[in-house]
Amino acid sequence: MKNSNRILLIFCLPAFLLYSTFVLYPALGGFWYSLTNWNGLDPTYGDYVGFSNYKELLGDENFKQSLLFTSKYVIYMVILQNIIALLLAVIIESFEKTKNVFRTIFFFPNMISMIVGGFIWLFIFTRVFPYLADTIGLMILDESWIGNPQYSFYSILILSLWGSVGYLMIIYIAALQNIPKQLLEAARIDGASKLQINWHIVRPLIANSITIGVFIALSTSFKVFDQVYALTGGGPGRATQVVSLNIFSEAFAMQSRFGYASAKAVVLFVLILGITLIQLLVMKRKEVEM
Amino acid sequence: MRANILALIGKVVVIVFIIAASIFTLSPILLAVLNSLKTNGEIYTNILSLPEKIQWNNYIDVFQKTNYLRSLLNTFLLVLMSVSGIVFAASLAGYKLARTKTKLSGLFFGLFVMSMLIPFHSIMIGLVRVTHDLHVQGSLWGLAIVYVGIGSPMAIFLYHGFTKNIPKEIEEAALIDGCNEFQLYYKVVFPILRPITATIVILNALWIWNDFLLPLLMISDKNRYTLLLSTKMLFGQYTSDWSQILAILIMALLPIVIVYIFLQKHIVKGISDGAIK
Repeated sequence: MKNSNRILLIFCLPAFLLYSTFVLYPALGGFWYSLTNWNGLDPTYGDYVGFSNYKELLGDENFKQSLLFTSKYVIYMVILQNIIALLLAVIIESFEKTKNVFRTIFFFPNMISMIVGGFIWLFIFTRVFPYLADTIGLMILDESWIGNPQYSFYSILILSLWGSVGYLMIIYIAALQNIPKQLLEAARIDGASKLQINWHIVRPLIANSITIGVFIALSTSFKVFDQVYALTGGGPGRATQVVSLNIFSEAFAMQSRFGYASAKAVVLFVLILGITLIQLLVMKRKEVEM
Repeated sequence: MRANILALIGKVVVIVFIIAASIFTLSPILLAVLNSLKTNGEIYTNILSLPEKIQWNNYIDVFQKTNYLRSLLNTFLLVLMSVSGIVFAASLAGYKLARTKTKLSGLFFGLFVMSMLIPFHSIMIGLVRVTHDLHVQGSLWGLAIVYVGIGSPMAIFLYHGFTKNIPKEIEEAALIDGCNEFQLYYKVVFPILRPITATIVILNALWIWNDFLLPLLMISDKNRYTLLLSTKMLFGQYTSDWSQILAILIMALLPIVIVYIFLQKHIVKGISDGAIK
């Protein structure tokens, strides 16, 4: 073996050892378990059952429902999170003295665990909203924000946006700050309006950051867990049960069907991988065109 | 004239919007603080007003009934162990991977980067099993080494990118002066990596401090609970006793708020550096 490779191995050993034990091995194991009927109580880790878990998945209405619910959530999140973050970034960047104050405020919820944030919002939804509805007559607030699945979708959305917009905002602020000032100055002198400058100059220059922003929003919202766990616990019934929570309860809360839950986890993995790869390819190509 | 009026209206709209957004962002926290200092009766009758008499008792009760300091210490130790582990393992690997141009280094780097696409929920079942079989489940150090395994790939990626942009000449000079590989790493290279190390420390400390699911799966002993685990458990116990619950939630928030106030600039910089690379 080459000397340089031997030194490389030594340097990579600690990271690779822990990585392969706690990421690679469980990941590959997951594929194998998904082909078995292993349940949590079985010390022998179950028997090989071929693709029967996957066949069962096709007819699993609960899982389908959770996939649909998650997809709806992802679509709302990707669009709203990016639009609001970009809007805030553009506005804040146009301020001079108060720039840092607003940045600090909007990023703040991002520091908070969504478990704690979720419990605080549970207080807002179940106590403050009904109070406001009673006292100042804001009737739109007088709904069952947690108990009615139609509304609890929006409460999960509000909590998630509240907690995550600041992160993308920081990324967009950094992108805006990287635009050379002379470019904007030149356009202004040539008589371009603010909207024209934003559309024709700023937009193409931050295209790369938008790709990153959409990627982050996609991959994090597919994996949403804490927000739903804290706010609705997936209920009422299973109405707001996102995929990650569905897998979690299949494996650790209900029947401990680890094999079947692993099949669901494989589906989630393939789904996230496929969708984010398509997104990156499409948006990278668009970036070049702009 | 008309253009001036339009510009003025535009400005007012923007300012109203940004102030409304700020109120929306901060009000849940402020309302939580406000009501954590009231009695339950007062929360019921007057949720928006200032407390008639400040009820420090809520906090004293929570402090006495719970293991707050213990959970705080647990969380702090967990973050400390995990982040030092990640910095140690990932800086070694990331630096050497960037400096070695062989097939093996390409393979390693590819493996690490690829794993960043695997969602946690896809490894969690296997992880519970492997940690059980290796007897690392249930302890804080066990949890910490799992975090090192999961957190290293991203940190390796960042160290790798940073190392590529520093000139090799310094290292070559040090080798000629008689340094061996390991002296070179910790006397010369590691200090140069400091800016990216700061970013990695911030990103990982925030992630692990706020991570809920992994400790939930790995820790069952109350004495080893992290802040979030004990918060969640207490939340279940105090159903609808909001004055106490809110006090618990504010106590859980407090450390991170203090850190944010003092390190705000570094945190924001770390977040944007980490995301853009």
